[in-house]
Amino acid sequence: MAEIKTLIKIKPKTYSVGDVVAVDFMAMHPMESGMRKDKDSGALILAHYINEVTFLLNDKVITKMVTWESLSVNPLFSVNLKITGAGTLKILAKDNKGQSVETTQQITPKG
Amino acid sequence: MGKRSLSIALVCLALLGSAYAEESMSMSAADKAMYDELLENNPADMELSEGESLFGALIGKAGYAKMMGVSEKALPAYIAGFPRYVDSAKKVVTLSQTIQMAAASQGKEVPKLESPEMLKMTLFLKSLANGQKTAMNVKANPQMKAMMTLGKAVFEQQRGGRGLSCNSCHSSDIIGQRLRMQILPDLGSKANASAGTWPAYRMTKSETTLLDKRFQQCMDNALLAKIPLGSKEMVALEVYVTNMTKGNAIHVPGVKR
Amino acid sequence: MERRSFLKSFGAMGAAITLIPQLGYGEEAKKVAGPNALSLDAAMSAITGGKAVTFSPKVTLSAPEIAENGAVVPVKVSVESPMTEKDHVKEIHVLASKNNNVRCADVYLSPANGSASFGTRIKLGGTQDVVAVVKMSDGTFLAAKQNVKVTIGGCG
Repeated sequence: MAEIKTLIKIKPKTYSVGDVVAVDFMAMHPMESGMRKDKDSGALILAHYINEVTFLLNDKVITKMVTWESLSVNPLFSVNLKITGAGTLKILAKDNKGQSVETTQQITPKG
Repeated sequence: MGKRSLSIALVCLALLGSAYAEESMSMSAADKAMYDELLENNPADMELSEGESLFGALIGKAGYAKMMGVSEKALPAYIAGFPRYVDSAKKVVTLSQTIQMAAASQGKEVPKLESPEMLKMTLFLKSLANGQKTAMNVKANPQMKAMMTLGKAVFEQQRGGRGLSCNSCHSSDIIGQRLRMQILPDLGSKANASAGTWPAYRMTKSETTLLDKRFQQCMDNALLAKIPLGSKEMVALEVYVTNMTKGNAIHVPGVKR
Repeated sequence: MERRSFLKSFGAMGAAITLIPQLGYGEEAKKVAGPNALSLDAAMSAITGGKAVTFSPKVTLSAPEIAENGAVVPVKVSVESPMTEKDHVKEIHVLASKNNNVRCADVYLSPANGSASFGTRIKLGGTQDVVAVVKMSDGTFLAAKQNVKVTIGGCG
């Protein structure tokens, strides 16, 4: 199975300690509902979706999500984060077929 | 498909643009803002970053600029002028075709125009021109002039069982009417900036698509035989449609319905 | 979209002039029960354990009133809260009232988020309410909902 491609964006790009920023996490994933039929064979396509996303700051869980097949293909997961200092943001995403991906982003406040 | 449903569809086509284009069905400003936000978190951004590494491995910006005979600094403006006549190819080519030329020049496997790698690299290459204005010049040389003429002919050529052409839905006198809930877009408008915003992420297909592949999807839906990517006719069609948006800003990847 | 349903709903529009968005897409979706099928009532009681839910202006649910297609519907939930240890939003649940499985996402927040917000994009099988259910740190449940009309676009 191909590796799941991901992207983290922090908005705004520059921030200081005390700011609340947006963390936007995207993943390339088919998010199959299990209700679609294959066009050629007519067989149901098995459900395949991201079912768990965990945001960790310096290895401490700050947000956890249980997600379902109703999310769009190539989904977006966006939450806020209060900047308390420099650190590492790690986002773990898992799908219902057991595949997982870990993406990290350095948090580097200005000033 | 039964004959009956076909005739129903034809009746509906005849009804196209009749009185049901109510204002209440249009998107509100607030709704539009929500969709515009998709541009900032465009799933195609992930393909763009892959395209950057693929392109880097294939030839890189410096190598590409050298091959095309321009300075690296002039590359954004140069890319904004595609499709264009390229001497070494002896024809008018699209950006994707220059990537094929680049692969050949490096003695590497030439990626197919339909391939995902081609999409990603074309997206990256075009993104170098972000912020520029669409600057294709149809009067630059006889070859471009000829392609513009051919492109207009392709755009207006009625084909298939229903005798549809691009013009059937995109002529200037039908713009703003509706096909089901969809307002038929003005391909040349600043708001649409069509050619300058492809490759784009298509929400209905949940995938990123090249402009010429979008043309093929349109042909497919209109029950027309698909014009092959890279053919003279397809490049001409891209020239013709790009010319409609001349001077519009380039911003890729776009987001489309 | 499938050509068959394209023609079918196209035909329906010709006949009725005004369009009924559920035709086609929704009809086909109903034929198959998804692997996680769950109704709105069942999902709500699983979240709240039967506790009362108050619709509150503190919860803002943004979604388009008219979605041009059901495949990508942007949804954002934000909740007024100081996000302190004592007083914060614990959970945000996004539900699509008429989807086969109404659950879209269950989000467990913490004070480290700084402010309570969750944004995503969901698939809607047809016109329906999108509901946000929020659990506060004091154990109360707040909610907001918005109707989203899903239209059928041009030629796919």
